[in-house]
Amino acid sequence: MPNIAKLWNKLADPKNIPRLFALILGLLLIAGFLIPIGLNTDQIYTRPAPQSQMDAGLTIAPYDRGGEILESPGITEAQYPENSQNLGWINSYMTPIADMLKGISPYFGTSICASPGGLIDEILYYTRGFDTILESSILMMAFIIASWLAINFTMDRKEEKGEGDIEEDVKRAIASSDRIANEVEMSNRKARKKQAKKEFR
Amino acid sequence: MVASIVPQLVPAFYSLMYTTVLYGGLIVAFIGLIGIAMEKRDIQVLILTDIVGLAMLIIVAAVGTDLSEALILPGLVVELAEIMAISEILISHEMRKKDVHTSFTPIPLNIDMEIMTTAPNFIALLLIGYGVFLSGFTGGAVAGGGIVIYVLSRKVRGLPVVVLDGVGAISGISWCLWIIGFLFFFILPQYWLLSLFLAALGLLLKVASKIGLIGIMMREEYGRK
Amino acid sequence: MLIENLGGNLMGTIPLGDIVLYLNSLHIFLFVTILVFTALIAISRTETQVEAMFGSLDENKVSVGKKEFKQRRFLAIICGIATAGAMITGDLFNFTLFMALIGIVNIGIVSAVKHVDVLNSAYQYGLIAMMCGLPLFGGAAMILAATGTLSLFELAAIPASPMMIFGALVMLIGVCGESGIAPFFASKAEMFRTPGSPFILIIHLSSLFIIVRFVEILLIIL
Repeated sequence: MPNIAKLWNKLADPKNIPRLFALILGLLLIAGFLIPIGLNTDQIYTRPAPQSQMDAGLTIAPYDRGGEILESPGITEAQYPENSQNLGWINSYMTPIADMLKGISPYFGTSICASPGGLIDEILYYTRGFDTILESSILMMAFIIASWLAINFTMDRKEEKGEGDIEEDVKRAIASSDRIANEVEMSNRKARKKQAKKEFR
Repeated sequence: MVASIVPQLVPAFYSLMYTTVLYGGLIVAFIGLIGIAMEKRDIQVLILTDIVGLAMLIIVAAVGTDLSEALILPGLVVELAEIMAISEILISHEMRKKDVHTSFTPIPLNIDMEIMTTAPNFIALLLIGYGVFLSGFTGGAVAGGGIVIYVLSRKVRGLPVVVLDGVGAISGISWCLWIIGFLFFFILPQYWLLSLFLAALGLLLKVASKIGLIGIMMREEYGRK
Repeated sequence: MLIENLGGNLMGTIPLGDIVLYLNSLHIFLFVTILVFTALIAISRTETQVEAMFGSLDENKVSVGKKEFKQRRFLAIICGIATAGAMITGDLFNFTLFMALIGIVNIGIVSAVKHVDVLNSAYQYGLIAMMCGLPLFGGAAMILAATGTLSLFELAAIPASPMMIFGALVMLIGVCGESGIAPFFASKAEMFRTPGSPFILIIHLSSLFIIVRFVEILLIIL
């Protein structure tokens, strides 16, 4: 079975793996067209229909979830309301600057300036805060990896070259020249064999 | 009145759109993935994976609740973080394959604008001030932009290790602020406002200092002559 | 399937808002084991590989430099903690984020090496990890759309629908790619060919534990 052997060899090459993975995933996603798909309407953290708050003329239009600043909590439909004692307070909170801007501009709700406070902040910092902590840790790890590589390799490669032990370099040079000599020897021998075969004919 | 602000069930608009949006996301993902399967060059594959990340955002956004809006942020950041680390690995790999004297940019980039010498401090201060006013993630990005301009405009070369370590330390400390804020939410629920500000300020400092770090690294790379 | 049937009695929960970490006997075992391994790795030193030189009787010792050693130890500890967190989490999206963290830290542990081949396979694995964002987050989002919740306690009580099965399948492909099992092993296996053994080992260990935990999650969902 030479074909299967070839396939296994291809699988052992790291370069082919992302392509194989992409192909398998793509084919699986196509199966999504075959199954019945529908949105379960009983969701947590539901939001009003698009533009409905704009039409109602609310000042912080798409993100108005009720409540008054530091007086009454807004509406947050969390999964486990009993785990978050202050549910809804961040939702209704706005910084003084945000409160001032709200009166000036009718489009304040669509911006995210003067931000602590509001529904998305409540989800990001409070009810699902652990997700955000993990996310920022992922970003931090990526920074550590990238900056470490940049500082130690891509920037200072010259220094590393200077540090190298001369003795070791000589050893390496000998080894590589030996290898090249060997290869030359081998190819010579092959050529001679071919020559001999031809003459024999 | 209260019930009308936030509906009990998902509005009909979102549930009608869901199938269409999900199919759209699946098609985008399929195009990107088949592109990856057929492409040979490494750098092209890295660019194509961005399409796959985009498809993921579409599929998450299709749910159409506030929760899915909040879930987009982790998805986006994870893709961003991975593309940054992996492209750095690709650079390191390609440089290692080639000569030691290969440069990051083939031609040294000369940022020779008048504004860089006349008003860097003013622009940087303006951007940082505006970033603090915006606060949160965007504010951090804007303030970081200010740091980038300040760092790029300084002509003195040589890696300021103290500065680099200092900016990195600010980033780490603000990350700890965030963690403390998060723990206070649950240990001391009555101080929720304090925890909120700890988290928000931590985010601002963290993003700003990280973009500043990118600026320092860029200066070192592009300024190489 | 109910949570009690799978991992033993529920011993307690750690509620952090909507994300509830929970402990049962299986989880405690996995959690403690991975933490013990992480502690062992944190205090151990790296191996030194010995290569025979060609054409002479000398040998070439390949060891890990001090800067590199510190970086790798830090990332290996983070990897261990992330794996431990993934063992006890009770939220689907939280689990996928832990997986993403493990994936990027795995790349980081080998990114410090000087071998071109290892860097190449780390890059190829990184491409897979980036693509895995789609099946992991997308699959979780599909399950969210089909059921209206991400909490494993709620998902355990909901009978499986075709869309949930599809979402779980998509997630399974993502976990396969990220942890590098069966057909996708080559890029991850090549990453091990470098000195610095105990830190390299945590890559292996984390994917093992993740697979065990994901099988449990699959059984809970379906």
